[in-house]
Amino acid sequence: MPNELIRLHDVSVGYEGRTVLNHLGFAVEEGEFLALLGPNGAGKTTLLRGLLGLLPVLGGRIEYHFDRAATPPGYVPQRETLDPIFPLTALEVVLMGTYARLRPLRHAGRRERTRAAECLGQVGLDAVAARPFWSLSGGQKQRVLIARALASEPRLLLLDEPTAGVDPGAAAVIMDVLFRLNRDQALTAVLVTHQIRLVRPLAQAVIWVDGGTAIKGPTAEMLAPERILDVFGAPATG
Amino acid sequence: MDTLVEILRPEFILRDALVGSVLVGAVCPLVGVYFVLRRMIFLGVALPQLSAAGIAFAFVAYRLVVGPHEHGNVNERSLAMAGAVAFTLGGILVLAALERGGRETVEARIGVTYAVAAALTVLFLVADPHGDAQMVNLLKGDILATTSASLGVLAWAFGAVVVVLFAFRKEFLLVSFDRDLAVVFRKRVGLWDLLLYLAIGVTISLGVMTAGPLVTFGFLVVPPLTARLVTRRMLSFSLTAAGLGATAAFAGFYCAYRFDLPLGPTEVALASLALGAVTSATMIGQWMASPRSAT
Repeated sequence: MPNELIRLHDVSVGYEGRTVLNHLGFAVEEGEFLALLGPNGAGKTTLLRGLLGLLPVLGGRIEYHFDRAATPPGYVPQRETLDPIFPLTALEVVLMGTYARLRPLRHAGRRERTRAAECLGQVGLDAVAARPFWSLSGGQKQRVLIARALASEPRLLLLDEPTAGVDPGAAAVIMDVLFRLNRDQALTAVLVTHQIRLVRPLAQAVIWVDGGTAIKGPTAEMLAPERILDVFGAPATG
Repeated sequence: MDTLVEILRPEFILRDALVGSVLVGAVCPLVGVYFVLRRMIFLGVALPQLSAAGIAFAFVAYRLVVGPHEHGNVNERSLAMAGAVAFTLGGILVLAALERGGRETVEARIGVTYAVAAALTVLFLVADPHGDAQMVNLLKGDILATTSASLGVLAWAFGAVVVVLFAFRKEFLLVSFDRDLAVVFRKRVGLWDLLLYLAIGVTISLGVMTAGPLVTFGFLVVPPLTARLVTRRMLSFSLTAAGLGATAAFAGFYCAYRFDLPLGPTEVALASLALGAVTSATMIGQWMASPRSAT
């Protein structure tokens, strides 16, 4: 049996006491590439934020089979949530990932800078290290944020719509980076996305979020054409 | 040139005022960097006004609890400091709490804070029958009245603020730039916010007492806005803002002394002049670099 990283036991999550998702019961296994799919407003991001510990668990229990303080999950937010007023280079953004392991009064030194540069290399962006983060293209920014997540040396990556708002070429590059990290480093990845066509060949399993709950199953079964037609009223085109 | 040599002499009669002025000019922008980055610039107007209300309240409270006083009979600066710190910190904490749970916009809350603080300042001043010109000077911030003792307090307190800002800059950056990531990293987000607010509160309180609300607000926002235009990294952003503030304060002091101008407005005007010049240069640079200018 594969190692479980996270197990949800009849979990409810939501905002300010308002439950959005109920009766969540599934596991995220080590090395898995998982896609969180579902209609708009179904609660995909809510579920992701619940897994990250950013939202309170309103019922049930989430078991983490790793030390979240020592090895926090690698979190990749949507780039629009970050304010462009901050004067930061791409390397400085990636360095923030190393803060996970740095105690107060300890600042990023040579080891952390080397690690950050390596992570930028892993996403194919060595050349932009000194460039202002906000001058990069949407796809490049998203890859910098993936590098930042890698800099925390996580066992699990949690990504919120990493391909939203980027052109198809950049989206394909991002998915390729994630696929290689999953295949070569056995890094577990859970990503929220709308782009079914992009994740269909890569995801081993899908968590389908709809109707106030979520269920997990193999990609072929969860993304069967009749299911997609039933939910979206049209074949998958994303 | 003679004036410059004169004000740089150790025995210069207004040396303490000059040093105090430069300290306010250097340290307020270091705190103001976070006002700009967290998009709380209007808080920079409201908090100094709240600090002024705290100073006025301290004197009214003294009269009500201890009894009437004549200026000079009580340690005015200690009393003013207590009132300023209490009101500023209280204001920041209440606004921060409302930011998390409130439904109104941030601007509305800050606007109300400013209006209430300004009204309370006047009312507290009127309620104190001994609120004379000296008291008004304390509220406006009479930098020329800086003494060696008050300069010592200012230097120690600002020194502590600078140490905190640089020692914990990694934490302050993380909670300001990506609060969610800080939570995922299991950092004590509330504690770091509180420490930052404490540094802001102390800086504003001392800034208002030394130089008044206008100068404090000016140095909180103008040098960081200027530095933001010319820097690409966080550390250089903070250091450039502090350098610009200190330079504007020194140049302002020189101009005020040389041409017999009011000190605070001169300092703010010079800092704003630098902002205007850098903004213009940046716009011209962008225009020159744009493809249209090449045609």
